Amino acid sequence: MSVETAVQSETIFDVKNITLRFGGVVSLRDVSLHMKRGEILAVIGPNGAGKTSLFNSLTGVYEPQEGHIDFTDRHGRTISVIGKKTHRIARAGVSRTFQASRVFSALTVFENVKIGAESHAGIGAVGAIVRGPATRRGERVSDDLTLELLDFVGLRKDANLIASALSYGGRRRLEIARAIATDPDVILLDEPAAGTNPSEKLELAALIRRVRDERSISVLLIEHDMKLVMSLAERIYVLNFGGVLAEGTPAEIRANQSVVEAYLGTSTTEEKG
Amino acid sequence: MTFVRLPQVKRLVSIVLVTAVVTLMTGESGNATTPPTTGPHGAFFERVSYFGLFGARRWMVFLTIGLLVYGFTFLYERYMPPVRRKVRTVTALPMRLVQKRTSRFAMYAVAIVILLAIPHIVTQTYWMYLIVEQVGVWILLAEGLNVVVGFAGLLDLGYVAFYAIGAYTTAWMTGVLPAPPFLHHVIPTLWVIPIAVLAAMAVGVMLGIPTLRLRGDYLAIVTLGFALIVDDYVGNQNGITGGGEGSLQVPHFAIDLGFWHYHWGIGPVPYYYLCLIFVALFMVIFTLLEHSRVGRSWVAIREDEVAAESIGINPLKYKVMAFAIGAASGGFAGVLSAGLIGNINPTMFQYQASINILILVIFGGMGSIWGVALGAVFVQLITSYMDNYQPWGFQINDLYMYIGALLIVMMIFRPAGLMPSRRRKREIQSFEETGEGHLDDVLTVDDS
Amino acid sequence: MGFAHFWLSGFDQIRTSFWAYLLVGLQNGALYAMIAVGYTLVYGVLGLINFAHGDVFMYGGFGAAFLTRGILGSSVASGWATVGLIFAGIAMGGLVSVGVAVSVERVAYRPLRRRHAPKLAFLISAIGASYFLETLAGKEFGYGTNLFPAQVFPVGQTMFSVFGTPVRTLTIITVVAGAATLIVADRLVRATKLGRGIRAVAQDSETSSLMGVNIEKTITLTFIVGGALAGAAGFLYSLQSGIEWNSGVELGIYAFTAAVLGGIGNLRGAALGGMVIGLFGSFAVPFAFEGNTQWVEIYTFLILIAVLIFRPTGILGEKLGRTA
Repeated sequence: MSVETAVQSETIFDVKNITLRFGGVVSLRDVSLHMKRGEILAVIGPNGAGKTSLFNSLTGVYEPQEGHIDFTDRHGRTISVIGKKTHRIARAGVSRTFQASRVFSALTVFENVKIGAESHAGIGAVGAIVRGPATRRGERVSDDLTLELLDFVGLRKDANLIASALSYGGRRRLEIARAIATDPDVILLDEPAAGTNPSEKLELAALIRRVRDERSISVLLIEHDMKLVMSLAERIYVLNFGGVLAEGTPAEIRANQSVVEAYLGTSTTEEKG
Repeated sequence: MTFVRLPQVKRLVSIVLVTAVVTLMTGESGNATTPPTTGPHGAFFERVSYFGLFGARRWMVFLTIGLLVYGFTFLYERYMPPVRRKVRTVTALPMRLVQKRTSRFAMYAVAIVILLAIPHIVTQTYWMYLIVEQVGVWILLAEGLNVVVGFAGLLDLGYVAFYAIGAYTTAWMTGVLPAPPFLHHVIPTLWVIPIAVLAAMAVGVMLGIPTLRLRGDYLAIVTLGFALIVDDYVGNQNGITGGGEGSLQVPHFAIDLGFWHYHWGIGPVPYYYLCLIFVALFMVIFTLLEHSRVGRSWVAIREDEVAAESIGINPLKYKVMAFAIGAASGGFAGVLSAGLIGNINPTMFQYQASINILILVIFGGMGSIWGVALGAVFVQLITSYMDNYQPWGFQINDLYMYIGALLIVMMIFRPAGLMPSRRRKREIQSFEETGEGHLDDVLTVDDS
Repeated sequence: MGFAHFWLSGFDQIRTSFWAYLLVGLQNGALYAMIAVGYTLVYGVLGLINFAHGDVFMYGGFGAAFLTRGILGSSVASGWATVGLIFAGIAMGGLVSVGVAVSVERVAYRPLRRRHAPKLAFLISAIGASYFLETLAGKEFGYGTNLFPAQVFPVGQTMFSVFGTPVRTLTIITVVAGAATLIVADRLVRATKLGRGIRAVAQDSETSSLMGVNIEKTITLTFIVGGALAGAAGFLYSLQSGIEWNSGVELGIYAFTAAVLGGIGNLRGAALGGMVIGLFGSFAVPFAFEGNTQWVEIYTFLILIAVLIFRPTGILGEKLGRTA
């Protein structure tokens, strides 16, 4: 399992029958999900359906009481996510963004991304003090990566700005840049288009596609904007009341009656059947 | 009823209440033998006279002052803003000069010269001794706590325990405790420095691993309990630590290296230089850490632990690191005190001291290495002065009363401290430029 | 085999003086329970450890002591006078403590809430308030003062015996008063509209305010309930040990441990936790090395750490899926 192979694994996430309970409330009910490497997968559903709980379960924030979650990285190594700490899962190759952009407001845009970039650098306290050649090389490498990523998301000119001074959309892009900086295999985007106007949405969609195409990072996203989802996602899972309602391509989902019913009145662009 | 709600009335009431409290605070102390109401009664009704001109009761004097302050606040509101703007434009140029590299080096050079010359300026041994014991040692303690509280954002109310460990380890290894030293081998005091520092760090790690998973408020209580226990323990273990009386005289520092002999004696000046070297050393180390990956990880954890975890930062590891590094400074302060004072006893390590150190950090500005150092100097000098000359009948016991009040006031009005760290200065700048962004970041962001 | 002997002799002591230890434990437990309620309610509503709560307790003790001394002087009361004075003491203690508690909230916490200050600022302010109150009391009343209230009943008076162990009047009064006040507080929080507001805000302050709950009033009420109980405890405590300027520190830590043990935010949990800690502290005395009661403090503190690490939600608290 730990042998590096030239053939990349097909599956990146294998979620088998997970159930998540909080006291008396069942947040996720027997949910199974399968994500392939290199795809853009969307999870949709009405509010309270359990989408963010699913994300939290995939990243180790929540611990489902039942079921399995397996994550396979680009080298073919598979780890079981449940029971592991969040930072371990992040180091294994799972990055995420949050519903309300959680950037580090006290740091500059540059520093925000750099923290992500250097998370694999292995510089410890002693290195920080002694500042030997290894440390300095590591700093240069993470500096270069940071600048490259800032270019990628279009924030290069704001590099020295305090993160809290960024616009809403800027913070979104910063969070994405930071999440990519850790060199992940998959990135989980939690409602990236929330609060954006139509032109920003187009830019965002383009950025997400570039994340997958240019940086070979698989994308799993939660979204409410149906137009965005239908145009961006290659496959869609629909959650409702904590369970999987449907799964398929955008065309299949659009035609699915139960999905339409579940969404009746909640979507702005969905046609009422 | 609406009259009562008017802002001016509210302000008047607040000022009168504050004045009453201040009157009480600065008034006579009660004690066990006099009736319990002597203190408050004396505070308000004692007759005082000024310049032999007139006599009045204290409450009248204070009320007058309070009303004057009240009136003054209105004048301030009216006339200050344009004055402040003027001041800011005038100081803009010098401030920008200060930021430049060359002028900063010049400032450092001047500072170093002054610091080296201090023993020649301050000739009284008593004050020199005080500078090392009350200021130097406390700068070390404050810088150490600054790493824990200011950098990593952990409220450690038991920091004084590291100080105690450094001191008692020194006493133990130099053979002046009832308990025999490690392997029955007495070690010269100077060589105990690394051992004591490592001991303090080890305790920091051992304490940190189980407790640093806890939420901030729980951590505070647990560390407070730890300090209470250490305080109790060293005060009661007569067989091991010498109990209430403490240790015998710890031998003074000495270097005996074949060609080079140097003995610290009773005089404070050699200790001053030793302290100066180590303060500079710790400040340099902490600055290097601050601007490294470690320092950035601390900021990330402090700001948003969940987001930090999501990019692979292990919060526990960095928190324990902060604990250990902060403990190093405290441990060294312990060794220095042991060498300087000689007799190590529990009164030096009461848990209240942790609060004392905390106020130094907060006053100077959490997370600001220079701010904390200067804040420590300022507060400690004032405290020592007041303790020695006791103006207005100041009692050293009342110190914590003022500290407590000051903590509350600082949290409300100036949480960033005296000298905000450069990161915060940047925010203030960017705030003024763009009109956006958070002012006084860490202490005003709601981190729910 | 000194170690085994130590433990065996400890258990032996418990066996011979079981009822004595039990009674002391109940008495202390009642006090811890009353004080713990204040910690637990404030934490439930504000998410804040009110460091100054122990000092609230202390001021109540002083207030009640002054009042009873003022009324009775140095004589000893009996009969109805005793009963009246006990009520007066509890009331006065409660009143003074409520005053201090509400003041602390207004001065140290409310301004920070207005500014949306982060948790750290609240904690620091709480500590500042605590130190201020403690040293102010020390200054005004004397650092060496250990004040006892007037003799509302003869010292050491016992009422009856249980299995050969005399039961002191003070123990009865403390336990009864404690139970009564705790029941009243529980009814208040569960059954009244204001009380339900406390629980609503504790669960979800945003929605509560949308539903018309006055947040500020609710918060003030929380401090009032907690303060009243602490003040009553202060009077009862002072009958036993007298009040000093730093009486609040040790009891505060015990009471806080009790609140955490019982489930922070849960009033009944605080009461239960108080009893457990009280009994534990009493039965742990034979196991204090060299008879040094500071070891009881250490044991209790270890319980606190253990609870926080292994079951932070306490006995009656709720268990959640692992959350950030």
